[in-house]
Amino acid sequence: MKLFQKSFGGIAGFIGRIWRHRQGRIGLILLIFLSLVAIFAPLIAPYDPYDVTQRADKGLAPSLEHPLGTSITTGQDVFSMLVYGTRVSLLVGLITGIAIALLGSVLGVAAGYLGGAVDMLLMRIVDVMIVIPTLPLTILITNVFGKSYVVIVLVFVLFGWTGLARTVRSLVLRLKNADYVKSAELAGAGRWYVMKTHILPAVSHLVIMSTALSCAGIMIAEAGLSFLGLGNPTAISWGKMLADAQSGGSMLFGQWWTIIAPGIGIFISVFAFMRLGLAIEGIVNPCMKGGSDAKRLLKHIRGRYLDEVLESMEDGAK
Amino acid sequence: MNKYYVIKRIFYTLFIFAVVVTLCFFIPRLGVDDPAARYYPAQGNMSDESYELIKELTRQQYGLDGSTLSQYARYLGGLIRGDLGNSYRAGSPKVWDLMMERLPWTLVLSVSGMLICLFFGIVIGTHCAMKRGSWQDRALMNASTVTTALPAFFIALMLAYFLGFKLELFPAYTDQNLVSSFDWSLKSIGRVAYNAALPIISTAIGGIIGNAQGIRNSVIAVTGEKFIVTARAKGVRRRRVLYRHVLRNALLPVVTGFGMSLSGLIGGSVVIEQIFNWHGMGTLYLEANNTNDYPLMMGIMIFISGIALAANLVTDLCYGLLDPRVTVGEKQ
Repeated sequence: MKLFQKSFGGIAGFIGRIWRHRQGRIGLILLIFLSLVAIFAPLIAPYDPYDVTQRADKGLAPSLEHPLGTSITTGQDVFSMLVYGTRVSLLVGLITGIAIALLGSVLGVAAGYLGGAVDMLLMRIVDVMIVIPTLPLTILITNVFGKSYVVIVLVFVLFGWTGLARTVRSLVLRLKNADYVKSAELAGAGRWYVMKTHILPAVSHLVIMSTALSCAGIMIAEAGLSFLGLGNPTAISWGKMLADAQSGGSMLFGQWWTIIAPGIGIFISVFAFMRLGLAIEGIVNPCMKGGSDAKRLLKHIRGRYLDEVLESMEDGAK
Repeated sequence: MNKYYVIKRIFYTLFIFAVVVTLCFFIPRLGVDDPAARYYPAQGNMSDESYELIKELTRQQYGLDGSTLSQYARYLGGLIRGDLGNSYRAGSPKVWDLMMERLPWTLVLSVSGMLICLFFGIVIGTHCAMKRGSWQDRALMNASTVTTALPAFFIALMLAYFLGFKLELFPAYTDQNLVSSFDWSLKSIGRVAYNAALPIISTAIGGIIGNAQGIRNSVIAVTGEKFIVTARAKGVRRRRVLYRHVLRNALLPVVTGFGMSLSGLIGGSVVIEQIFNWHGMGTLYLEANNTNDYPLMMGIMIFISGIALAANLVTDLCYGLLDPRVTVGEKQ
């Protein structure tokens, strides 16, 4: 109970610090807004986009009944699709981000602190995974095991932990030689004790920051995969809305709003998580100089999923 | 450079490559029990025996007979001879030939895109670093937050709509006769450039800004170093310091990042190629995916991974040449 209270107080304090950070506040407000939209989607959306009976004529222009018109392929209300799309995006982003954070930090700490054979094995796995092009691999796996968000999340997690694990490992290697850790070891502290009291707290900030950033990266990746038609074919997601708009000929008929709407959805959610990540970095690491760690990590994490999907986002800061 | 280090590094690269090949080989076989049944679903009017015969013939035709291990051995044997097997397409063309036909078209997009990103990234980044805090610098900061949060394919769709459909500056879809009628004349090269404009611009926008941001940061970081102050103090001209000392160091991470980006260059941008219907490796991969053409998918993945590995090896070994402070392979 005491531990719970302590950690709860810590989390509340941390959120308070993010709130006081200018950029962090923007991120928090946007994130709360998006979560509310996702949770109360049925109340906000005027129509149920999953309900086949609630469909209007195809490709209607925006009007009072349909604030963003209707989709060109099926006649679903675009505004309702936009609202429901928040669910897929946030869910995939958050679940994958948290899973990557857990796996990456555990394996990174293990590799860095235990060293030896564990380190050797994990780093060889990282070397292999970094070479395999991720987008083609994801396409191959969805082809073999079926198109669904479960498969996508699994692939993201299985191949996404490498970047974080590397960063955590190098931090742990630095910590391992720090004086206070050495003296704890000399005083007879066990491995688990050192890991729990000295290593994990020092690593946790980095992990929290990278979770925010990997959520952002994953949401873009998810949109890209859905755009290619690799997500769950029955679900409504922003990427799929873009794909439908493109294949249905929205551009040809001048219906730019069906393209802009999902794009803005993607932008807001990715922007929120990026702001959060950068704000956390500013709080945790106030003396950052020149190239920001967060940017580098974002590039690394994103590079894993997106080297092809989002080549344009290459960030020269390595 | 240490000779043993080079040999060790080459063997390690080969080892990683073997693991990659094994993964690419077994992933499709994990999920598909009987590929022959997947290509020839059982027909109602067919007896079990003739269906078995058809499946057996299919397996032989596509090299799927024998145990998985013997298939694996055969695949490796082919790979050593540079043979990536045959595609499942009609006429069983060689995977290698299919890839080589598409490779130049992807390189047209990616290499020119990369050069544009590098050039403008360096120019804009250095400029902003020199005028730190000016409106250009702040504009770059803001632009980079926008472009990192916007997927490239969304930018591509917007460009296709506004520049392609509204203003009709560039074609929003690639001309279908572009590839078949290409004959190295000035006119057809011009046509390729005209058709490639939108795909290149849409990938380059984010790349330029990302590169510029990175170069700005590293130029600022390098400018604070002592050797720059020394160079200025001993009276070297500003420009000369910029080109010879600052940029040379600031560009190091860009050059070393090149190895990793090479696989992206060849893999191309799958989504962008798909949007503009470009005749490259990315669309080839998607076609293979739609027809369950596993040998082709495996071939492309192995090819891209192999290039990435080779590029990593070369950049690793060349790093010492670029940065004289690093001595490769010696214990620090």
